[in-house]
Amino acid sequence: METETKRLYEALFLVDTGQAAADWDGTCEHIKKILDRGEAEILSMRKWDERPLAYIIDGKKRGTYILVYFNAPSANIGAMERDVQLSENITRVLILRADHITQEDMDSDTPSMAAEKSVAAAQAKAAEAAAAKAAEAEAKAAEAKEVESPPVEEAAVEADDAVDENAEEA
Amino acid sequence: MKRTQNTRNKPGGKRKKKREIKEQSQCRFCRAKTKYVDYKDLDVLEKLLTHRGKIFSRKRSGNCAGCQRKVQLAIKRARFIGLLPFTS
Repeated sequence: METETKRLYEALFLVDTGQAAADWDGTCEHIKKILDRGEAEILSMRKWDERPLAYIIDGKKRGTYILVYFNAPSANIGAMERDVQLSENITRVLILRADHITQEDMDSDTPSMAAEKSVAAAQAKAAEAAAAKAAEAEAKAAEAKEVESPPVEEAAVEADDAVDENAEEA
Repeated sequence: MKRTQNTRNKPGGKRKKKREIKEQSQCRFCRAKTKYVDYKDLDVLEKLLTHRGKIFSRKRSGNCAGCQRKVQLAIKRARFIGLLPFTS
């Protein structure tokens, strides 16, 4: 009796950007269906990036890439690729053995996540700078107010001192 | 036969500075101990392409034979999936 060994694979699916944006869950479900038909056990599935293509594929200039890591019997990979070729929703797929990939690599940031993070960091920085500027301006305004009208107590003390000095001189 | 005068050691003569070129003994991937060149790592791969999308020779990129083969495979994979151009 033959025992089928499952191997770790990495697949990068290229799908149409408009379709992925309109029905993201449907696209993911479609990919899952194809992988399930090949008895694949999905470990991770996420959007890798949305970018302009280096050359026009099927009349499309932009594409969304979906990165999937899965365990599957090696005999079923060909069938999966054929299913993708027959599918109208998926433009292209690249399936590679990923024995060298660790869990850290699977969890590492994708370009889209990195871009989102950098945008969020830039926004936070800008907000912080604006808050600091506002605080500085407030402090300056308060200082200017103090200079314009010195406190009443200080003025009274100064007046008393002047009176004492005059008395001593006399 | 006339013997050319050596002006190098004369007090007024200009001394030519020797260019110090540091030759790398290993290629960039060997130095970084890279075992696998990822086809999704476009920042690395784009440096190894001409502006027309052709792969730089080993002489130009300085890669060792093994790493050049890995790079070649990664670029070809990236081209297939539409990340890098075949030509532009």
